[in-house]
Amino acid sequence: MAAQDGGKSEVGVNSSPALKPKDWVLLSLRLVAFFATTAATIVMALNKQTNTVVVATVGNTPVKAAVTAKFQQTPAFVFFVVANGMASFHNCLMIVVELFGHKIDCNGLRLAIIAILDMMTVAMTSAGDGAATFMAEVGKNGNSHARWNKICDKFHAYCDRGNGALIASFIGLLILLIINVMSISKLLKPKHTTYIGVP
Amino acid sequence: MITKTWKMIFTLLLRLLALTATLAATLVMVTAHDSTEVMHFTFKAKYSYEPAFKYFVVAEAIASGYSLIVLFLSSKNSFSRLVMILDMVVAMLLISSVSAAMAVAYVGKKGNIHAGWLPICGEVAKFCNQATGALISGLLAAIMYLLLLIYSLHDTAYWMS
Repeated sequence: MAAQDGGKSEVGVNSSPALKPKDWVLLSLRLVAFFATTAATIVMALNKQTNTVVVATVGNTPVKAAVTAKFQQTPAFVFFVVANGMASFHNCLMIVVELFGHKIDCNGLRLAIIAILDMMTVAMTSAGDGAATFMAEVGKNGNSHARWNKICDKFHAYCDRGNGALIASFIGLLILLIINVMSISKLLKPKHTTYIGVP
Repeated sequence: MITKTWKMIFTLLLRLLALTATLAATLVMVTAHDSTEVMHFTFKAKYSYEPAFKYFVVAEAIASGYSLIVLFLSSKNSFSRLVMILDMVVAMLLISSVSAAMAVAYVGKKGNIHAGWLPICGEVAKFCNQATGALISGLLAAIMYLLLLIYSLHDTAYWMS
């Protein structure tokens, strides 16, 4: 609001187009988190493996059936893909706003909105990760008490790719947590320089 | 000053609700067990037979201990930033544990036909019902913590701007 008149000199000196070093740290962390969550989404979304098993033998020819393992068969993995997809979208949006949207201030609530959105993304990603990890654990070890057999011994590649996606997502979650803590500390620290127009 | 008291009361209330919910979730899940005889073997169900439920119990226990400590610490202001960050970590723990337990409970209830996993809720209905109750309580606790976080953020931001 007061950006164009009055406080122009303050704007030019402090919160200008050139980002401060701390902003570069935040920006690069967001970039890494973006890559991690996008990698997790893509690897899990393309996770599919087909095995052919011999079901019966008719005369001399074996009857084969194709058994497929896809991520859509497990609701937890679907949620994982959705959560990581939304996290990558959020990271992308935050990077764009950070680089090109310095004029957008929303009545001074900009930092609060960023912190709240970051928090919601952390919540969603942690939920997706938790669900997918434990479903992967059941797939890997089975559950003898419930008579659920493990599937990782038959579908090695599916399990390996799932593990990779999970690791990428955990890295993304850790970095998102750090980013969130940084956003919150930015919010809580009293700012003297970037509030435009304050004499 | 009056609004500050209302704010403190609201936060305290949220924390108390979260404490009750986490405590209830832990206790109900720990005491859930059932066993049936199917054909010639005994089918037992307890929370410790499934790692996701163990994680759920541990996370809820940590969260209730934390809520109890912070309830008593609530009056001091010097810890407020540390409390906010710890709140976030505990909220994340709660959310991921509820999500993990719900994922496994869904397989227990509906099965997963592609993996050849049969649902178990038909056989051990008492365990399933108690686990469902614990999960609902855990979900409420996670929502309380999220509300607490958003409220304290909004409060601080509104104050600052």
